[in-house]
Formats: sequence, C-alpha cells, structure tokens
Amino acid sequence: MTIPHRDLDVRPILRDGGEPFSAIMEAVAELAPGQSLRLLASFKPIPLFQVLGAHGFEPVSREIGGGDWEVVFTPAAAPAPVVETSDSVDHGLGDDWQVPAREIDCRDLDPPEPMVKTLEGVEALAAGETLSALLPREPLFLFEELKARGHEWRGGFEPEGHYRIVIRAGSRGEK
Amino acid sequence: MIGSSLSRWTMAFFTGAVIFLIAAECLMVAGYGFPAMAAEAPETLLLVHTVTIGWLSLLMCGALLQFVPVLVVQPLRDEILVLPALLCLLAGLTSLLAGFLGLTGMLDTDIPFLLIGGCLLPIGFGLVLWTLGRTLWQARPLPLPARFVAVGLTCLAATFLLGTFFAHILSGLISDAVMIDFRTKVLPVHAAAGFGGWLTFTAIGVSYRLLPMFMLAPDAERTTNHIVWWSGSIALLSIIMGAPVEFILAGSARIASVIAGLSAMVALVCYGFDLFFFYRNRKRRNIELNSKSAIGAFAALYLSAALLLNLLATGTFANHAGALIYLVAFGWLTGLGLSQLYKIVPFLTWLECYGPVMGRKPTPRVQDLMVERRDGPWFVLYFAGLLGGTVALLADAPNLFRITAAMTLLATAAIVIELVLARRLFNVAAAVRFPEGTTRPHLFLPAIRNH
Repeated sequence: MTIPHRDLDVRPILRDGGEPFSAIMEAVAELAPGQSLRLLASFKPIPLFQVLGAHGFEPVSREIGGGDWEVVFTPAAAPAPVVETSDSVDHGLGDDWQVPAREIDCRDLDPPEPMVKTLEGVEALAAGETLSALLPREPLFLFEELKARGHEWRGGFEPEGHYRIVIRAGSRGEK
Repeated sequence: MIGSSLSRWTMAFFTGAVIFLIAAECLMVAGYGFPAMAAEAPETLLLVHTVTIGWLSLLMCGALLQFVPVLVVQPLRDEILVLPALLCLLAGLTSLLAGFLGLTGMLDTDIPFLLIGGCLLPIGFGLVLWTLGRTLWQARPLPLPARFVAVGLTCLAATFLLGTFFAHILSGLISDAVMIDFRTKVLPVHAAAGFGGWLTFTAIGVSYRLLPMFMLAPDAERTTNHIVWWSGSIALLSIIMGAPVEFILAGSARIASVIAGLSAMVALVCYGFDLFFFYRNRKRRNIELNSKSAIGAFAALYLSAALLLNLLATGTFANHAGALIYLVAFGWLTGLGLSQLYKIVPFLTWLECYGPVMGRKPTPRVQDLMVERRDGPWFVLYFAGLLGGTVALLADAPNLFRITAAMTLLATAAIVIELVLARRLFNVAAAVRFPEGTTRPHLFLPAIRNH
C-alpha cells in the first residue's frame, strides 16, 4: 500500500468518558481511496469491526501494552462478505450506503423491545440515512417489518454471537 | 398482520386446541372414561384422543407453524396447505371421536366414522408434516432446536401410521388374529412415539429456543444440549424401530426397552442440567409468569420419570400406568403448553396489533396485555389440582379424581379467559389501546394487513 495510514487516537476521548464513534466515522469518511485507518484505542473495539466491515474494511488488531490496542482497518479489494441482505439490496457493498448516523445496542433487551427500539431509530432517519443496531439474535420479525416499510438492510452474526444489522431508510416507507 | 412472520392460522390451531382441552377436562369432571371406567374402554379412548390430538397435537402444530420458521430463519414453505391441514385435523378428529362414541353404543350409525377419522387425520398431519418438513429440509444444516423438531415430526409420522392401523382394526376392517395380537403389543410404541417423541421431544427442542429468549439466557449450543438430542433420539429409535422388530423376532421387547429407558434417563438428566443453566444464567432477574409456571411443568416431567422408575421397581406399572400418563399429559405437556400460551398469545397479539405502528407511535408493552398478579394463583390452582389428581389415580379414588379435575378445569378456564382478554387488549388502558393505524386483532381468524 503506497498511501500511508491515517492515524486516529481515540484514547483521549475515551479517557474523558466520551464516545469516539462519530470521530471514527468522520475519519473513515475522509480516507482517500485505498487508504487504511490506524486506530489506537484503550480496548479492543470489536463492535467497530462489523460496522467498518460493512464498508469494506478488514481489521488487523494487536495489543500494544497497557491494555491498549492498535487496529488497522484496510480497505479490502473485494467486498467483505455479509451474511444476509434484504431482497431490495441489489448493489455491491461499500457503494452508496452512508456511514450509520447512529449505533444502538439492544443486546440486553427482551423481545420485542430490540425490534421496537430499532424501528424507532429507523423512523427518525431521513431517506438514505443508515442506522446500525446490535441485536441479541437474528431478527426475523424485524426483517419482515423493514421490508413492509420499504427499508433496506444488511446484517450478519458477529463472532460474539449477537447480530448486527445496518438499515438504510427507504423513501417509499409508509409514513 | 405484520409481514409473513406471523403464521396466519396459528391462533386458529390454538383456539381449537383449548376448546378440546376444556372439553376433555369437562369429561373428566363428569367421570367419563378412565379412571371411572376401564383404561381400554371406548370412553377412555375418546378422552385420550381428545387430549392428545385435540389439545396437545393441535397446540403443537400451531406452535410449530409459528416457530419452525423462526428456528431456521426461513419462511414457511407451502403455507397454503396449512388451512386444509387444520380442516382435515378438525374433521378427522371429530370423526374419530364419533367413531369411539359408536363403539360405546351411544351413537348408532352406519357411517364408518373410525375409518373416516383414520383417513382424514393422517391427511391433516401429513399436510402439516409436508409444510414443516419442507421448511426444515430447505434450511439444512439445521440448528439444534430444529433437529429436535425434525425427530419429533418423524415420531408424529410413526404415531399416526400406527394410529391409522389401529383405526382399521377397531373398525373391523382387519380381523386377522395375529394383527389384533400385534396391536396390543405395539400399543405402547404408539403411546411412546406420541407422548415421548412427537410431544415431549419437540417441546424440549422448542424450549431450547424459547426459554433463553424470554429469560435472556445464553443460548449458545453446549455439550449437554447435544447429549440430550443424541440420547433422546436413540431412545426413540429403539422404541419405535427396535421394539416392533424385537417383538416379531423374539416375542418380547426387553432389550429395546432397556436401551430406550437408559437413553431416555440420560437425556432427562442432561436436559435437567440445561434447564438449571437457563434459569441460573438468565439476565432478567425477575422472571415472568410464563417462565415461573413452566417450572411446575418441568417438575411434573421429573416427577413422571421418578414415578415411572418407582412403578417399574415395585412391579406396579400395569396398575398405575394411568396415573403416569395423566402426570405426563396434564402436568408436563399441558402445564408447559398453558404456561407458554400465556406468553405466546399476548406476544403474537401485540405484534399483530402494534407491529404496523411500531417506532411511529407509543405502544403499550407486551406485559401490559396481561395482569400477572391476577393470573398467578390460577397456575398454582392448576398444578395443585394436577398433583391431587395424580395422587387420586395412584390411590384408585375416582371420586377424589373428579374433584381435583374440577380444580384443573376451573384454573384452565380462568387462564383461557385471560388469553381471550389479551386478544381483545382488554387490560390495556382504553385511551392507548388502538393508536391510529392499528386494527383490532380477530379472536382466532387471521387479519389482513390494511395497507
């Protein structure tokens, strides 16, 4: 890779009790084509792997001492494999899907709360915006409801066993 | 109707099922069939099939049509066959019961009801097997809970094939003495395939998904889960395939029974560990009434196993088989069925009513559809009646049994009324009951999504 890494150290943000997600996404949006992002964090940022995976980045992580981690997200030549998509998604990956506007964690909610929270988030999106949600299991009922409302989704299981779904709000959703 | 994930006819199956349950409990209170009459009497056959086909099998079919697609994350195949299946099952069961009524002499007719039932029921079950089987087949490799269901469905096939054979004998079409002798010998196989395979093994499989889901317990597959599946499958295979073969070859089924008994015990012990694990490692500290009352059903399952061992050890199995079957059918299976309906019916009702406006309008919670504090005592009464009934059967006290049966009937009726109230969203404050864009769910007919 001829282009140098872009470095982002989110440890100060984390130390101040802040949420580094938006900073990371801004940095990703500013990457040159083919450029990698080197992220320094005070923990292994596993949730990011799938979010950036959906954008075609492959993570390589290593512990750099003191509990800190360095992760290099390299844009993959081929799209990262995504287990499932809604029928309406017919593009390749990493095309016109925006960086998720929000990320919500529903892993500890009992059914049907994960679906309620996710749909609430989706309803707040403008057409074309995306939302990323962590769910305790594969959301069969949610898939159907998203389809009925004209939204698109991509999702898959993460190594920890939960399900991550990224939803893009459609314009033909029934409002 | 939200999407196609809600099985259109599941509520209709459930409705038919609870009607047959109430009818069966009324018969027991009235002293119809066992224990007031002999276990072999046609009255007892009528009662047993009202419970096993009318209540338990319709309940299981309705639940599987809803949950198999969820278990394998695939839509149900050939959904169009579900309504004909339900109609065949209802008509077939009615004919079968009329046939038994004919055997009692109460119904004098030339219509071969037993035979009609013996044909319609296999068609109905066959259609259910086809849709569920095809759905499972398309989803290979199957996750573990679905593998339990696959074995359970195989046992359903074995149960109704034997049942059809019996219906032909009872209606006089087969009069060969060897066959009639064979019938008495494979009757326990029919019962084991039905209670042990189709109903119990399937219920265990579904519980592996439902319990963690409702209690937020870890549901990653563990070694014990696999041991339950393997040992349970070996037990069932040994009883369904091994026992009849051993009968024909050796005249008894001693070896097959020992293998089946030992494997079943291994399965039950490991299942016990898994149940303990789910309750112990749940993330929800306060468990809901459905998971609480299910403990009564699990207790009944282990009590049944203990009773079976005790009856075998004391050589009194033949005298008290009725008590054991009652404990399995009404303690374990009915107890689990009622406790899970208590969650599933409000959950499906909630999805049906509020799904379309979810995320757009404030909606009540699923818990708001029920009043647990009011309903808890009914489950206590149910299990108290069940225990009393088992004791009454063991003590050969038919009149005491009728009193305890009245307790279970009262409790069941109260729980069913609560389920109807949930369908009507009665417990939700009227002001927030139907936000704009929702439609009132039908009691048991499917809704059509109105947009």
